Amino acid sequence: MAVFQAALVNEVEKLYKKKKALIAVLLSLAVIVIGQLAIVGVRSGFGLRGAGSVEFPMLVLAVVVNTILPLFTALVAIDSFSGEFSQNSMRITLTRPVSRFKIFCAKIMAIVLFILAMLLLLLILSMLVGVIFNTNSGTLHSFVMTIFSYLVSLLPMVVLALGIVLLANLIKSGISVFFVSILVFIVLKVLGLIFSQYSSLFMTTQLDWYNLFLINSFPVGKIVRQFLIMLGSGIMLFTAGFYLFDKKEF
Amino acid sequence: MKFNKKTAMLISFTLGTLLVATTALADIANKSGYDQLKDALKVTAEQGSEKFDSFTLDFSIALMDNGKTLMTSNEIKKYDRLKGASETISTGESLNGDKNNYQYYADKTTQIRVSESDPTIYVTEYAKPREGEVFNNPFKEDEAADLEKILDAIVGSLKDYVVVVENSDASKELEGKLTGSQIPALVNAVASYSLKQEFNGNQSNMPHLTKDVYVNSVSGKANVNKDGVMESILGTAVLSGKNEQGTDHDVTVEILVKLSGINTTTVTKPDLTGKKVVKNIARETPGDEIANPEMFVGKFNNNILIEKDNKFIKIGERIIEITQIDNMTITGRYYEEYKPGFEEYATPDRKFKLDGKKPEQKNYSGFDYTTESGIKGNLYIDEYGGKIHLNMNTSMGGLHDSTFSPDVE
Repeated sequence: MAVFQAALVNEVEKLYKKKKALIAVLLSLAVIVIGQLAIVGVRSGFGLRGAGSVEFPMLVLAVVVNTILPLFTALVAIDSFSGEFSQNSMRITLTRPVSRFKIFCAKIMAIVLFILAMLLLLLILSMLVGVIFNTNSGTLHSFVMTIFSYLVSLLPMVVLALGIVLLANLIKSGISVFFVSILVFIVLKVLGLIFSQYSSLFMTTQLDWYNLFLINSFPVGKIVRQFLIMLGSGIMLFTAGFYLFDKKEF
Repeated sequence: MKFNKKTAMLISFTLGTLLVATTALADIANKSGYDQLKDALKVTAEQGSEKFDSFTLDFSIALMDNGKTLMTSNEIKKYDRLKGASETISTGESLNGDKNNYQYYADKTTQIRVSESDPTIYVTEYAKPREGEVFNNPFKEDEAADLEKILDAIVGSLKDYVVVVENSDASKELEGKLTGSQIPALVNAVASYSLKQEFNGNQSNMPHLTKDVYVNSVSGKANVNKDGVMESILGTAVLSGKNEQGTDHDVTVEILVKLSGINTTTVTKPDLTGKKVVKNIARETPGDEIANPEMFVGKFNNNILIEKDNKFIKIGERIIEITQIDNMTITGRYYEEYKPGFEEYATPDRKFKLDGKKPEQKNYSGFDYTTESGIKGNLYIDEYGGKIHLNMNTSMGGLHDSTFSPDVE
């Protein structure tokens, strides 16, 4: 376990020393500021309320889970694998007395931590902005639901990251992985719209699964099914990704 | 027992695949409440247009502002598919307090309108029995499938908000409610903006919401009987906002549709004896055919006018004489007669034989003709107004007038 911990610390350090993490933070901030400005504009221009203090974090979540969050997850995941393959720094990582499985796990864990950190950052910032700029106050229940929605969004995002990791181990060039990921993302989004009755099977519609938790009647069956689909595809993607990573020669 | 790496990977991959496959199948097999709602609507519409001999639909709409009723409207529609008859009884109070109550009856040959505010009964009789069903299945329209796809895409992740409660007798209750952040922000913004514009028209009795307008809640409830037919559906939406003075307003819209009297509804023709009746014969028939072409045999004319000294002066008459007409061809002649002293306006161009034919395309009750001198034009029979319209494609003498009335004197 100590070995894994060391590998994880190593990966996290690599991650946050890179500028990408900083850009991600700045961009998240920008999204929140622009979002709030748009709401103020709508409010004074059209006389609409836009979003209240509780709705604002939900609005931010709805936007980021489909845009910048997958984008940065892709960047970080690609960087962690393809980047190291191409710079040959993967060799250095692998010369350490740590098994490939542990290194693979540590890398995935670092990506998971990155996504979690992004979600928490977005949650705190949007809540602050929401409370400062939007007058009407929400109930404790909606406050808890907001935090919960952000937390459950971690799961589909991790599945997405695992998919990108698989691609990164499959395709050599990092840029190709990035473009293929974006293409697949868009194709899945469109398919989800066209075949809306099967949309729960698509990775991209699962990004919105936090909505299920907001339903008053709490559709347990649906939530469990969605969870199992994500779990299953997560296991599949993880195994396939590790299989490729394990076989790779450097 | 220790697995080797390959076996472990194989097992975990298979496990993942199985998990996804089984849950996916279960998920597809499990119809969401939204899908069940759609199915119930489709079944109801289909049965209404194909299976039920008769039924009653009751539509009610109420608009309330902070609990005070602004507008109500109720329409009871009775359909008798066997007789091809339908009856509508409408009652309601409009925004400015006007009461509008009327009754409307239609079958294949007659239409009757009885209004409370008008003692006269208006009857329209059709020269030819009308075709078509009394109740058309809206899901059979061409655009229905596309619209359904678009709606599905919009509803998206909201599908699971519809909760289904199944009763022991196989009937179902469907219910759904969206409030606050459950309503997607974009949907909320677009809906509240368009509703706000709608309300802030020139209807003075509506509260004029100007600030902080938002859709507060949307809810719906439907009852489906054991045959899958929807017996009632109630929709409520609350729009909240402030007016110019800062007063809070909750504008509520309620729509209720009920289906009853399946196969037991009777549509009765209103009793016209002893009432003041205005009868009107409708000549309009499907496919733009002229119902009574022989009525148009004879002389049609209009005045040739010119402007002189700021006055209209009649200098003569344009005349169309029809000698033969049916739904495909028309023959006759066109000429002009000038009063003494105005003969210089006459030209030989404007005296020709009419020998018209109906063009191939449908939905057009005009005839195309070509004169002996090769000028093309067309002639259109306005059966409803009893007029002929002539487009000569040459300039007319005097002021232009292409409408000809029957010369009945």
